Formats: sequence, C-alpha cells, structure tokens
Amino acid sequence: MANLTEILSAAKAITKGMGITFGEMLQPALTEAYPDGPPQFQERYRGAHVLKRDENGLEKCVACFLCAAACPSDCIYIEAAENTDQLRISGGERYAQVYNIDYNRCIFCGYCVEACPTDAITHGHDFEIASYDTSTLIYRKEKMLEAPQAGKASLAYDSQASNGTSGH
Amino acid sequence: MATTTAPPTVINAKLNGQDIQTKPGTLLINLTKELGIEVPAFCYYEGFSLQAACRMCLVQVNSSPKLLPGCTTIVTEGMVIETESPLVVEARKSMLEFLLTNHPLDCPVCDKGGECELQDMVFKYGAGESRFVDIKHHEPERPFSPVVYYDPARCILCYRCVRVCDEGYGVNALGVVNRGVLSEIAPNRGDQLNCDECGACIDICPVGALTSNTYRYKTRPWEMKHVGTTCAHCSNGCKTTLGVRNDEIMRANNRDSSGLNEEFLCIKGRFGFDFNHHPDRLQSPMLRIDGDLQPVSWSKALAAVAAKFNEVKAAGGKFGIVASNRTSNEENYYLQKFARTGLGTNNIDHARTGDVVTLVDALSGKQGKLATMADLYQTKAALVIGSDLAQQHPLLAYELRRNWRHHQARIYAMTPGPVREDKYAAATARVAFGEEIAALEGWREQLAKEPELLILFGDSIKGASLRQLVDFGESLGIPVKYVALVDYANSRGAIDMGLVPELHPGFVPSGQPGLTLPEMLDDSQLDVLWVVGANPLANRSQANPKAFVVVQDLFLTATAARADVVFPAASAYEKKGTVTNVTGEVQRLTAAVKTMGTKTDLEIFGLLGKEMGLELGIWSPDAVFNEIRQNVRGYNVTMPILATGGAAPTTPVNGKVNVETRSDLVHSAGDTLFTSGSMTKYSQVLNTVAERPGQLYKPV
Repeated sequence: MANLTEILSAAKAITKGMGITFGEMLQPALTEAYPDGPPQFQERYRGAHVLKRDENGLEKCVACFLCAAACPSDCIYIEAAENTDQLRISGGERYAQVYNIDYNRCIFCGYCVEACPTDAITHGHDFEIASYDTSTLIYRKEKMLEAPQAGKASLAYDSQASNGTSGH
Repeated sequence: MATTTAPPTVINAKLNGQDIQTKPGTLLINLTKELGIEVPAFCYYEGFSLQAACRMCLVQVNSSPKLLPGCTTIVTEGMVIETESPLVVEARKSMLEFLLTNHPLDCPVCDKGGECELQDMVFKYGAGESRFVDIKHHEPERPFSPVVYYDPARCILCYRCVRVCDEGYGVNALGVVNRGVLSEIAPNRGDQLNCDECGACIDICPVGALTSNTYRYKTRPWEMKHVGTTCAHCSNGCKTTLGVRNDEIMRANNRDSSGLNEEFLCIKGRFGFDFNHHPDRLQSPMLRIDGDLQPVSWSKALAAVAAKFNEVKAAGGKFGIVASNRTSNEENYYLQKFARTGLGTNNIDHARTGDVVTLVDALSGKQGKLATMADLYQTKAALVIGSDLAQQHPLLAYELRRNWRHHQARIYAMTPGPVREDKYAAATARVAFGEEIAALEGWREQLAKEPELLILFGDSIKGASLRQLVDFGESLGIPVKYVALVDYANSRGAIDMGLVPELHPGFVPSGQPGLTLPEMLDDSQLDVLWVVGANPLANRSQANPKAFVVVQDLFLTATAARADVVFPAASAYEKKGTVTNVTGEVQRLTAAVKTMGTKTDLEIFGLLGKEMGLELGIWSPDAVFNEIRQNVRGYNVTMPILATGGAAPTTPVNGKVNVETRSDLVHSAGDTLFTSGSMTKYSQVLNTVAERPGQLYKPV
C-alpha cells in the first residue's frame, strides 16, 4: 500500500513538473536571439539619447542647460544661440547651437531626462555604441536629433501645404 | 519745572519671541537682516529710497491690525514683531502667487534662471501650484538699446532699475508708464535709451525683465567660472567679476559687492571686456622680413630682438622705451629694471596723464593728504576742478553723488563746461582751463567754512598751478585731501613704478638724464624704440625712420604696424599682477582667460632678458611684487587685503621729491564714458551704442 502511494505521488509530481515544462514549451520564448535577431526592450530602457521635435517639427530643446547641470558625469556640453525670425530652430527664444554628449563618460542614469523641462532629451533604445575609437563617442546634436516626421518637416512646410502653394 | 526726556538711545522690542535691542530709527527689515532672519523683499534695496511696492516683506506687528511692510516700518519701543507667523507665511505665498499671475514660467529660457530672486523666493516661500487659469497679459520683448533688452511680461515693477538710474547714477533714463496691469518700464528717448548704457538696471533687476544683449541666451549662471579682477579701462579701478566659459568672457558684473566699487560699474566695466575677443587680436610674434611683417615663432622673434638690443648696447647706441598706462605694476617695475640695469639707459617714459609727482612733492612733510576711494564717500565737502567726473571718472562721480545722497556732502564744481555734478553741487563755476587757481579765491571764504575738503583735479592743474592749489588748500585751515586724476587702469602705477626718466620707483630721483617720450620720438639719433602697450606713433612719425622698433601690444596699432618686431601681448584680463588706481589703491588682476599665442608683457621681458643673457631676476608676478613691496616706498601693503580681492591703500613718499619733473608733458586724453584710448576701436559695444563717442562738458 505504501508503495502504491509513493508511486502515485511520484507520478503526480512528475506530471506537475512536466506540465510546467510542456506548458512553457507552448509559451513564446523569452530568450533573445541577439545578435542574430533584434533585441526586445522595455519602454523605459535607457539607451543612447534622442533629442525630440515638437508637433511643428521644431526642436524641443531650448538650451536651458539643466541636463548638463543634472549630469553626474559632466558629459553634456551645450552652446546656446538665439532664434531669429529668419532662422527658427526651437520653440523657445533660444536653441542649442551645439549639443554634445560624451558617451565615454555617460553612465545612462537618466538624470538629464528627468531634468529636462521641455521633454526634449529622452533615452532611445540604441545601445550598440561601442567603438574602437573613443573620439567617435562624442555624439553631436545632428546625430541624436530625431528625424522630422513626414508631413511635419517644419513650420514652413506646413504653411505651404495648407495654402496649396506647394506647386503640385 | 518742566522735565524733558532725552530721546532714547536704545529701542527694546520683541522679534519672534526674543527680546532684542536696537538703535532708534532702525528699519524693521534691516533689524532682521542684522539678526540673520530673512525677510524676503524685491523692491527694498540698501542705499536707495524706500518704495514699498512689492509687498513681499509684510510682517506682523502687534501695533497694527494689518500686516506692515518691513522695509518702511521703523522699530519702536515695545514692538512685538512676528516674521514667521502663519499669517505672514500665508501672505508671502499669496504675494508670490499674485506676482506669478502675469510672470511667465519661462525659467528654462530666461537669462536670469538660476540667479533669479523671484525663482528663489517661489522655491522657498511660494505655493506649489498656481490657481490662475486666465490668459496672461503678454507684451513682446523689445530692445531699449544695443545693450539693454526689456521683457515687460517678466517685470514685477519693483522700481529698482528706476531708482538705481535716477538716484545712483543721476541719469534718470528709466520710468514707469501706464497703470495697473499695463504698467511697464519705459526708456527716456521714445522707445530707446539715451543714457550712460552702464547696465546697472540689468544687474539690479531681481527677475529677467532687463537683460543684457551681450550675454543674452549665451550660457547660464552656473555654467560659468567667476573670476574677480580689476577693470582694464579707466583709472578708477573698479573690481569686476568676469563670468568665464570656454576661455571666453561671457559677462562682467560685481554682484557680490566686493571691492571698492561695490556694485558700481560703467559701460566699460560691464560690457567693454569684448576687446579681449576681438578677431584682430595678435596671436603670433611678427618680424619684418623683406619689408613685410610676417608671423614667426617666439624663439625667432626673441632672438632677433635680443641680438639687435645687444648690438646697440655694445655699440653704445641710444634706446628709447615707451611704457604703458595699462600694464601691471610688476611689468612696469620689471621693465624699468630691464631698461636701467639691463640696457643701461634712462630713456624710459610713458604718456603722463596726471601730475602725481608734483602733488607728492608739494605735500612733502604732511601726513594723510592723499584721499582713498572711501574718503570720497565719507568727506563732508569735495571740490572738483577741471574734470567731467561722470564721463572721465564714473566711479568717483558715483561715490560723490552717493555721499551727497546719504550724507548731504557739499560738492563744488569748477569746470570749463556743464557737468552732472551741477545738479546737486553747493556751488558751480564755469572756468576755463588754466584759470582755476585765480577763480578759487572767490570761493575761499565758503570753502574755509567747510569742516574738511577733498580736492579732485584734472590735468589742467599741473606744475606751478598745482603747487598754488596745494598752497590754497593748506591755507584754508581745514583738513584737505587731494586726488590727482589720471586716465587709465594703471596710470598711477606707471608713475609709482618709475616709468619716467626723472624718477626711480617710489618717487626716488633717478639723478641721471634721460629722454622723455616726445624727445625720444624727436631724436634723430635713436637706434631702438621699444614700445610696450602704447601707441605713440598714432598721429605722428618718429624723427629717425631707421630706428629699430619693437612693439608689444594686443592689436596691430599704428605704432605696431610700422614696427620691426611685434610681440602679441596678453590683456589685463589674461594676467596675474596688481594695478594701482587713481586714489593710489593697489588691487589684484586675476587671469580669467587665455588667448592662444600671447604672452604677458612680464613673460616677454623675462624671456627677452634671458635671451640677451641679462640677470634681471625671476619674472613671476608674485616674485616681482615681493620685490616691489621691499623696494618701492609705500607699496608694503597688507597682503591679505589683496588676496581677498580688496584694495590696499599705498602710502607714497612723505618727503621732498628733489627732481625737476616735466609737468608740461602731463596731458589727459579726455576719454569719455564711451571711449578708452586705443582700445575703443576694438570694443564692439563701445562702437554700437547710440551715445558714442560721448562728449565732455556736454550741455544738458
């Protein structure tokens, strides 16, 4: 009797264990195939920075230097300049003429993103930034800036489209 | 018999539950400041009239059912004051919320962000959120002048700018127009300013309503390194704090009120630093090769000059050395040592701008006769002779005016034309240059009645007339102090360091003959003309066109353009050292930036001396200043004063200067507020303001 109970309980345990095994086999795999396949990210993953544009296609960054002030590794360098009517780069009075992040020093802590009052700087998901040449690790604004969205390239583009003078 | 009670000498009151004592007539806000209790305020500013416009300093006082502004309430006997009661805290919060109804929340773009008083106060005392939902009243930002910009939306109408301009500077260029929510600051010439362009309104603004065009949107306060140094322009020696980023001067101000000028600066001090970054700055030594000045290496240029100097020295040739009104004391000392011991010549001179030598001589045997900057603010009476102070010596004018406002000092102005002092002077007289001494007799009775007198005189009083002036002053029977007005940042130091043929450093007669500046240029036998930071050939040529000319300067001036060798020199903002101002006070220069390719004049002297094989001693500023302290009478100043950025008074010789000084060579360039000798050309700001180039004795 005792043997039968043992056999049954062993069978139950095996069934339970294998149930989990087979159950998991039917679930989608969590393992990443990187580098053979693209990696999956959580939304909040802190990769290389992306500088955002607003709904008019203008840069969100107004060169307030708060990211640089918040940065614990002092890797952000900004030079500000004033927007003019002829050359409007950002929504505010001022824009970042130069915006560099030194990825030799960046520790991806995200303080800059927290500090940004205009949500201009965000973390993207790019993490493949290793290089044999450290001088290539200083990213300029042009490299980090988000591409203008189609149809919303700039204020000028919008106004042309809306009054039908685009020539089409 | 009626008894009269004497006025109380001490007031007893209670502040936040503590018993305190204070002097009668103390303002409540000053009492709290003394005790280290903060009562926030925007419109209250020490030294200016009371406004009570911002209502931030409201405090609770037992004698009043309503809150009282601390800035206009005088502490009285038995007063019970609460500065942190719930009612006061609530009032502050409400006031800030009220101010923020129209103040834009554009701190990330605003130039004041990070050093804004409103920002700080909202952070400390304000409410977390605003209940105001309506559209804010907005007016676009507008330029008042090439240096001052006004953003009406940010203005909180504290009237600080209006008061500093009117009361402080006596310019009265700003006012408030319109009523209520539409009130705004307005300039005096339509939509533009017609003023000194000093920018004091910008610095005193507690918010970002008035901003500087030169600093506009360039950087943020915390990004800069702040370097306290002495202004490179006029002789007043204002301390200026340079905001530096990336080896570039971003702005200048003196908000920490350190130094003898406290917060005062004029356009040259606040904006005139831009010559330093002018694209024409020389950055490489130049040697004349085949008739053209060509850039060469330092070693090549130094070798060329050293060889020529040694050759002329060996042949017993004639050197002529023109020194500067702007180089540091150390450089001046080292240069005269170079000339006298190294080259064995006494032909050293500079453009003399004030007759300090005769003054020192005339005052021999008397103590405490040379006024310091502090005396200008303390003296009971002052006499200005032959100078448009507000234009030529803005800090002196400011101090005298401040003295008049705070202590009712009596000012006498004897000038060839109208000056700003006329408005408040006890007496004014229009007297042509050279006739002042005779005219003074008319004021003798009046002046003799003053308890003390401070006499400031320009370049028209020199030589014999200066001796007459001292005789006149000493015959008044009252304590009299004197200031000989000189032109540039270290004009006084140039004389003190013996950059004249007749004197060694410390007013010691040299006893050997030497050529003066005009004599050098007129000498057809001159072999070498060595010009350090001066432009003597601006309007004339030299008698010997074959003379070997060596120039050390920031720019390719007229003199440098015809030189055989040009060394690129560092500016005053790029070197360490000391300068002596018009009132004989020594202040420090601190290197703030560096221009590639330049060397300080001291280093150039040192390297040249080494190349020539001379033994002139270490050429570090500290070592040379030590030598000055030991060897130059009056310069044994207290080092901690200098080290902490203060002004150390020198006490020059108290004895006869037994020398025939060439007082006839004393001549002021007559710079206005908007000119600074040969440097004017290279300052963009001085060349863009509408008031340029200014005019002395301008009728109002």
